[in-house]
Amino acid sequence: MAGRGGGRGRRMMTFSVEAVGINRGDSLPPSIQQPTPLFPVMEQKPLPLTAGEEEEYLLALKQEFRGAMKSLPCFIQPAAAHRDVERYSDKYHSTEQTDALTDWTPDWKRLPKELRTLQKKEEGQSSEDEEEEGEEKKKKQEEEEAEGEEEYDEEEFEEETDYVMSYFDNGEEFGGDSDDNMDEAIY
Amino acid sequence: MHRGTLGKSNRRAEQGLPLSTNSSVGKMTAQEVRLCGLLLREHFGEVVEKVGTHLLKGGAQNLRTIIHETGISLDLVKKSLCVLVQHGACVFRSGRKGAGSPAEYQTCCDRILRILRYPRYIYTSKTLYGDTGELIIEELLQRGHMTMSGTVKTVADRLTQNMEEGRSMDYSEVSSTFFRLVETHFLQRCPPLAGPEPKDSATPAAPAPPGTPATPVSTAPPTPESFPDCYKVPHVTLVGRGKRQLASEDGEDQRNAKKAKMDSQTHGDEGICWQVNFERFHLHFRDQAIISAVANKLDQTSSEIVRTMLRMSEVTTSPTATCTKPLSANEIFRSLPTSYNIPRPILDQYLTLLIDDPMEFVGKAGESGGGMYVVNMHRALANLARATLESVVQERFGSRSARIFRLLLRKRHLEQKQVEDFAMIPAKEAKDMLYTLLSQNLVQLQEIPKTPDYAPSRTFYLYTVNQLPTARMLLQNCYKTVANLVERRLFESKESKRLLEKSQRIEAILASLQASGAEPEQLTEVEEMITAPEKQQLDALRLHINKLDSAENQVDETIFLLESYINSTASTS
Repeated sequence: MAGRGGGRGRRMMTFSVEAVGINRGDSLPPSIQQPTPLFPVMEQKPLPLTAGEEEEYLLALKQEFRGAMKSLPCFIQPAAAHRDVERYSDKYHSTEQTDALTDWTPDWKRLPKELRTLQKKEEGQSSEDEEEEGEEKKKKQEEEEAEGEEEYDEEEFEEETDYVMSYFDNGEEFGGDSDDNMDEAIY
Repeated sequence: MHRGTLGKSNRRAEQGLPLSTNSSVGKMTAQEVRLCGLLLREHFGEVVEKVGTHLLKGGAQNLRTIIHETGISLDLVKKSLCVLVQHGACVFRSGRKGAGSPAEYQTCCDRILRILRYPRYIYTSKTLYGDTGELIIEELLQRGHMTMSGTVKTVADRLTQNMEEGRSMDYSEVSSTFFRLVETHFLQRCPPLAGPEPKDSATPAAPAPPGTPATPVSTAPPTPESFPDCYKVPHVTLVGRGKRQLASEDGEDQRNAKKAKMDSQTHGDEGICWQVNFERFHLHFRDQAIISAVANKLDQTSSEIVRTMLRMSEVTTSPTATCTKPLSANEIFRSLPTSYNIPRPILDQYLTLLIDDPMEFVGKAGESGGGMYVVNMHRALANLARATLESVVQERFGSRSARIFRLLLRKRHLEQKQVEDFAMIPAKEAKDMLYTLLSQNLVQLQEIPKTPDYAPSRTFYLYTVNQLPTARMLLQNCYKTVANLVERRLFESKESKRLLEKSQRIEAILASLQASGAEPEQLTEVEEMITAPEKQQLDALRLHINKLDSAENQVDETIFLLESYINSTASTS
């Protein structure tokens, strides 16, 4: 971009220098040659936060609300990442997740028809999916399983098993110790 | 000087300008979109965040476009849209291309930004209607909207949970609190969907809560208040008491309790959903702000007088009114709370004091009835916003810069020399401060040419401050601040994720051990699984997170004030 008088040596500015208050002989502030620091030093320290009973109660409300939202059905988790190999214990893990998803049935009269997914899957609405079929299939499997079942909180009473749920933990989360696990064949 | 490769949208976004001038997109800035994304992530998960931010940035879109552009599976997109519509963050209407085109979804960031204020709504409800009111509002905020019967049952169960053994909360008590909340307009019915499904109707149906821009074809969208039944409570048959959720080892009981919850007893109000009326809470907050400002500036008695005046005008004043209806001094005297036994002449003196105060909280509207007085709401809001701006300048740049700022606010346009003289600050320092304020865009430079050729030597350069644009800019700063606070909090939690999980596991083990009656040695053994430095780290983490959360709450108070001021000027202009 052509700049008038840019490299001609004399400093010229588009506005009258006196009017803005820079008198002759005053030095201009040094020009900036690198980005400003990320956390510049503050000359004035900010005031401390107001602390009182009301503020503490509001804080507790906020944190409880956040925690409560995480356990509600409207908190949507993305589909669980595929493990490298399908494990036997997956069948028992997946029901825990989908319980929350199928728990909530919105008032379908307030939503457009095309959003109805949970019950009316068979009606062919899924015909318009353009996504990786793997994810779709997995969701279908999970929902088929969850459909006929009631909700369980107690691990011991899931699925006619007499074993504690942690029996099916293949120990991946806790690292090491797969010797005690009878799920996988040990070679 | 080139700024490198900043795209056009980035530059506009940094200045707080709207990202798109497409009229179908609500004017949303990048900071607002970023904050909305973070709030959605924290409360609804990352999937809803992706869908929501996509809608925010792109305006009204139909389902296929959303799926195609976000790359998320059909199922998850549908669920996310359900969640967003349930919570009022997203509206849908029939496509613009006429009948038969698929439904379009649109999100507005205002509703999502309200999430910051939820703790304040819940707390206010507690102060006004006790624990029952608190839980009702909390449940409705968590679920978006619910039927009255559903709310009453859930709240009764929760209250019963906290009561002593053998006692339970009756549904009728909860219902009566619900009635009172509806009576005072804190709760309202969700607007019914106007007309048949969007795809089937010949005329485009507009089932929209307030805030949606009007489509050119149909008339302005109906607000919840435009429906006459908005505050009418339906006849509900709701008899019973709250159920205590048994924490027994016997799974049978649990299953039965869950069954009872899931079976649908009809109570006569199916399809009538209730939502929280945020605007009513905002009016309450606004009144609180005015009353506490009067209390701080004058004294307790004056604030009681103003509180009385506002209480008397609650039902007669519309939400967007500039000032309350005129009230005569006689009426005010009769309505004062009985504990304030001030004689009539003293009341008149207080009212005169209030009128003369430069903050202009109260104004005189006539002489009949012993003097007619009004509370000037818009002017009070403007003055509160001005005080906020001045305080921001003072805390960031010092009291002398604040003096210059206040001077410019009052005197509008001043030359460099005049600023130095009026503010009584030496020239060099005044210059420095003015340039700092100028570089932060808190002060603007206005050119007044003496000659038509705008020659620099023959032009006046005046410094000026415009309250409204400055308030808007500070509001954007507030949004950015809150977004930064949230991000920092997420970062801190992520850093110590392993430690947090460990401490949660240990707490769970401790709880189960205590429940099964373990000995103190076992308990201490488990407690010692967390080492001392880890404990210190956890304490420090807890402190940081609490500080960041508390800061978010307090920045939201400033956000509320600035938003109210900006909305009040928008409605009058």
